[in-house]
Amino acid sequence: MPPKSSAGKDKDLATEDDVLQAVILADSFNTRFRPLTLGKPRCLLPVCNATLLDWTFESLVLAGVQEIFVICRSYPEQVKSAIRASKWSEPTTGIKIVPIITSKECFTPGDALRDIYTHGIIKTDFVLVMGDLVSNVRIDEVVRIHKERRKVNKDAIMTMVVKESGAVHRTRSRADYGIFVLDSQTSQCLHYEAAVGYPPTRRVPIPRDVLAEHPEVEIRNDLIDCCIDVCSVEVPSLFQDNFDYGDIRRDFVHGVLTSDLLMKDIYCYVIKEGYASRVSDTRSYDSVSKDILSRWTFPLVPDDNHPGGHAYEYLRGNTYIAKDNSVVLSRTCRVNANTLIGAHTTVAPGAVVTASVIGQRCTIGPNVTLSHAYVFDDTHIEADAVVEQSIVGSGVRIGEGARVERGCLVGDGVTLGKGARLGAFERVSRRRASSEDEESDEEWEEVEKNQGDTSAILGPGSNAIVWPKGPSEDDDELEVERFDNQRLMRIGDAAADLLAQAEADESDSSEDEGDESDVSSFAPLSRTSSFSSVSATTAATQSSIAALSSAAAESEFLSEVTQSLERAFAEGHSVENAAVELKTLRMASNVDLRRVREAVVAAIVDRVPLTQDFAVQKREIARLVARWGPLINQIGGVDPVETVEVLQYHCAKSPRLQLFGPLLAQLYQDDIVDEDDIRQWHVTPAARGEGLKPGALLDGVKYGWVVGQKLIEQFDAQESDDESDDDDE
Amino acid sequence: MSDPAVLSAINHRAVDAYIAKLRRRQVVGSREAALETLRVLRQVVSKARFSNIEQLTGIIRGVGGRLVEAQPKEHSVGNTIRKILHHVRDEYNAASKATKAKESRSERTEYSLANFISQGQIRKDSVWPTLHQPLAEDEAPITLRENDSNDPDSFAKVMKPVVMDAIQDVLDELETVYDNIAKTAREHINPDEIILTIGHSKTVEAFLKAAAHYRSYTVIVAETGPSYSGHTMAKALSAAGISTFLVPDSSIYALMSRVTKVVLGAHAILATGGMFAITGSLLAATAARTHSTPVVVCAGQFKFTPLWNLYHEYGALDFADPSSVLGFEEGALVDKVEVLNPYYDYVAPDLVDVFVTNDGDHPPSSIYRLIKETYDDEDTTLEYKSK
Repeated sequence: MPPKSSAGKDKDLATEDDVLQAVILADSFNTRFRPLTLGKPRCLLPVCNATLLDWTFESLVLAGVQEIFVICRSYPEQVKSAIRASKWSEPTTGIKIVPIITSKECFTPGDALRDIYTHGIIKTDFVLVMGDLVSNVRIDEVVRIHKERRKVNKDAIMTMVVKESGAVHRTRSRADYGIFVLDSQTSQCLHYEAAVGYPPTRRVPIPRDVLAEHPEVEIRNDLIDCCIDVCSVEVPSLFQDNFDYGDIRRDFVHGVLTSDLLMKDIYCYVIKEGYASRVSDTRSYDSVSKDILSRWTFPLVPDDNHPGGHAYEYLRGNTYIAKDNSVVLSRTCRVNANTLIGAHTTVAPGAVVTASVIGQRCTIGPNVTLSHAYVFDDTHIEADAVVEQSIVGSGVRIGEGARVERGCLVGDGVTLGKGARLGAFERVSRRRASSEDEESDEEWEEVEKNQGDTSAILGPGSNAIVWPKGPSEDDDELEVERFDNQRLMRIGDAAADLLAQAEADESDSSEDEGDESDVSSFAPLSRTSSFSSVSATTAATQSSIAALSSAAAESEFLSEVTQSLERAFAEGHSVENAAVELKTLRMASNVDLRRVREAVVAAIVDRVPLTQDFAVQKREIARLVARWGPLINQIGGVDPVETVEVLQYHCAKSPRLQLFGPLLAQLYQDDIVDEDDIRQWHVTPAARGEGLKPGALLDGVKYGWVVGQKLIEQFDAQESDDESDDDDE
Repeated sequence: MSDPAVLSAINHRAVDAYIAKLRRRQVVGSREAALETLRVLRQVVSKARFSNIEQLTGIIRGVGGRLVEAQPKEHSVGNTIRKILHHVRDEYNAASKATKAKESRSERTEYSLANFISQGQIRKDSVWPTLHQPLAEDEAPITLRENDSNDPDSFAKVMKPVVMDAIQDVLDELETVYDNIAKTAREHINPDEIILTIGHSKTVEAFLKAAAHYRSYTVIVAETGPSYSGHTMAKALSAAGISTFLVPDSSIYALMSRVTKVVLGAHAILATGGMFAITGSLLAATAARTHSTPVVVCAGQFKFTPLWNLYHEYGALDFADPSSVLGFEEGALVDKVEVLNPYYDYVAPDLVDVFVTNDGDHPPSSIYRLIKETYDDEDTTLEYKSK
């Protein structure tokens, strides 16, 4: 008999042509949960006593997904056995779960998607989620809309699900978020820009054509990115084609939307009803747990539809106690609001539990204080201990009178001795027995080697090692993963000092406002210029870290381009091949076209030998420009005015100042720039060197301008010869 | 020792699917849940193998136990199961009595005072197996052959149609429940009355619409936040040509002095005579009590729940997500304010004047008796007890 409920009907709709497939990326590709994730994958961390993977499965099954591929990288055997042991693998659930193990060399979601492509498992539109999703959203509705849109527009390759929240929200990451530019009518995503919390992202470049082509545009900074993407089959193949795409948002979405080649559309679906969020860091672990306990995820709440299959009784003040009467709460203990206590747990007299989650089979000793703490299964906390705003792994023993201050992460199996004192944001893990043959981990070994005297912190008889605090030496190049930014993702870290500092920076930059307005007059220089490039040109005047970091990225790009051009010159590549290579590089590091132009011009200029013999030099210039000149116009856009300006500035900076005249003449001869371009360049304020500080650079620029002046005079003379006409100069 | 045949029937696929739906709140509403329960039960029984009454009731109880455990707040699921069990036992007892009568007709002819008293007792003889303890020997296997080793399916062959009939009876009752309640509407509503109602109860809607055929009267519908189901109710009533006002919840008390009757729907009616009804019902009922306005509750019999003390349980009010009260986008508030959004109110029996059911009108004080007649005592808690 067919099910008559509305859910059944929806299911039929979703499956009208094929089964609905989903892909879970069950790996975090980062180490934010260390040391809790030593020895087990992040997706098996419990949230409200059910593993993240269970929450994710439940979210997908709610949407009528029938086939789920779980992509696992770290500890794949554990993930596999967890799936096998869970209720999802029972035949009656009607879903098929296939774990897929990728290689260790899979470092980004992009790598995982390339792996999916090579497996060839995706037959139709699919739902792509991360393995740390908690959601009660009807994804099937999004899938339906996506499919309808695909019928009209074949280029709509992806629909991103985003949840409206305020700009400030406990569940919205402060450190890693996105700015969405949406078309108000169609909710097409026109532009995406990733932002970080520290150094705070203040400027977001938006391409002009976005504003030009769409009459109504929403720029939104109040969306929680749930990382639920309804993708069409092309998505993995796009990842395959663009081998440098790593992150789905930062690289793929941004890349597709800014690409002038791909011509693909991405849409957003802003959910008004329902809840969806990711547990992407310890801070969101805290906030998602609180959201679950305050029932935002209803009906996915512990007393109703607990994904782990436990039964909890809901009591006054959002308190949940396991239902099977196995919990022992002593008469004098206090269980305050927003607390969940798992089965077979004992809370001794005088203990105070506030806004905490306690796993199964735990014992909480007399007079223990737990406040905003997350305690996994089988953990014993002895008398008078205090745990605040921390995550304590499973099988942990916290000794008598120990203190665990806010923000601590205590790894599985750790024993903390009597009177241990873990300071704020301390991370400890168990010392490995030498016989254990686990996955080797350089960082872990490093930490083990560098243990000083830690008995004061860990107490007597502890088996733990302390992880270093503060930024590591090889701080990540990726902005999101830098230590200061990571602080905004830590549980219990208000990061008030960071935010205050950011505030101070802000007031600094507002003082610079005067400079900024000068700068914006540069904007008409290049047609593709965006706000970020403008600020980058004035990086020298601003000492902000943001500018420095973008400068660092650019210098890396420049060295790449230089190397690539050197290869091209040395090996005699064709102009077309060299152009393709440059385009790829530009897209990979996402820099402005002007930078590429600068690099090409610089490469040509630097090839010219410095000799006193002008005839030789002239011949050499003619040969070089004839061979490589066309490259300037093949890098993705033709802008001769900019070319001249770039040439001028490069010559002004280098000792080859004298070459400016001959090179300009040669460019003119080879029709790379024509007369009007030179005239146009000549009247721009930049050509005259306005806004530059007096010095060698200004002198160089002035020299270039004078040379240009002479050339124009020549043109004028020629013209008056030819036509004896009047002239506007 | 658990019976494999019973267990396999209890763990039927359809039961699992329905449990998942109940837990995910894909089936909501008392009547929907009751109908779906019957459909699932029909599937289970049609496939099940059983050779005596204990196995049969074990299967039904087991299914009921699992469903109730999965979603204890949809009371109609358990009630439906209890009702089916009651029907099945009745039918079985009738059949076995007939069998017994054939065998020992002589014993029955004797009339004595003791015999008379025992027969006069309510349903005492139908409580099985207390009176028919030595069952296997006692039963004459003419129409009902239990535990027949030659033909183990013979009992099922006889009983299956009986169970199916019972299920069909209850289904029919559910299908016609609105009509039967609406039948008496004319007697409850007088001309030119002003009726206040709250929420969108299908029963109340049918009741008021039926009354509109005979009387002209006015209905005031409260908006019923945060679900605002009062809006759809007001639309439905005014579409039927009833003069309807939609008022904010805050004005219920102010308007009560003009209201002549309060008509409410119910989610579940407890054995105390109290009930669970949509949030705001308690407010309306209390206001009505202050003004001595009669409170009439329209509900199908399937909402009678043999539970007494649910109102002690905090969670019984079924707390939903806070988003309809406080938007999730209010980021600054979400962290600081705890919002509770109970779906139901518990309305105590002294606030209700009469229950209008498809089985006649009853005061709250006699609900317990109706419940005792409708269900068997042993089914108050449903679970499969393996012996």
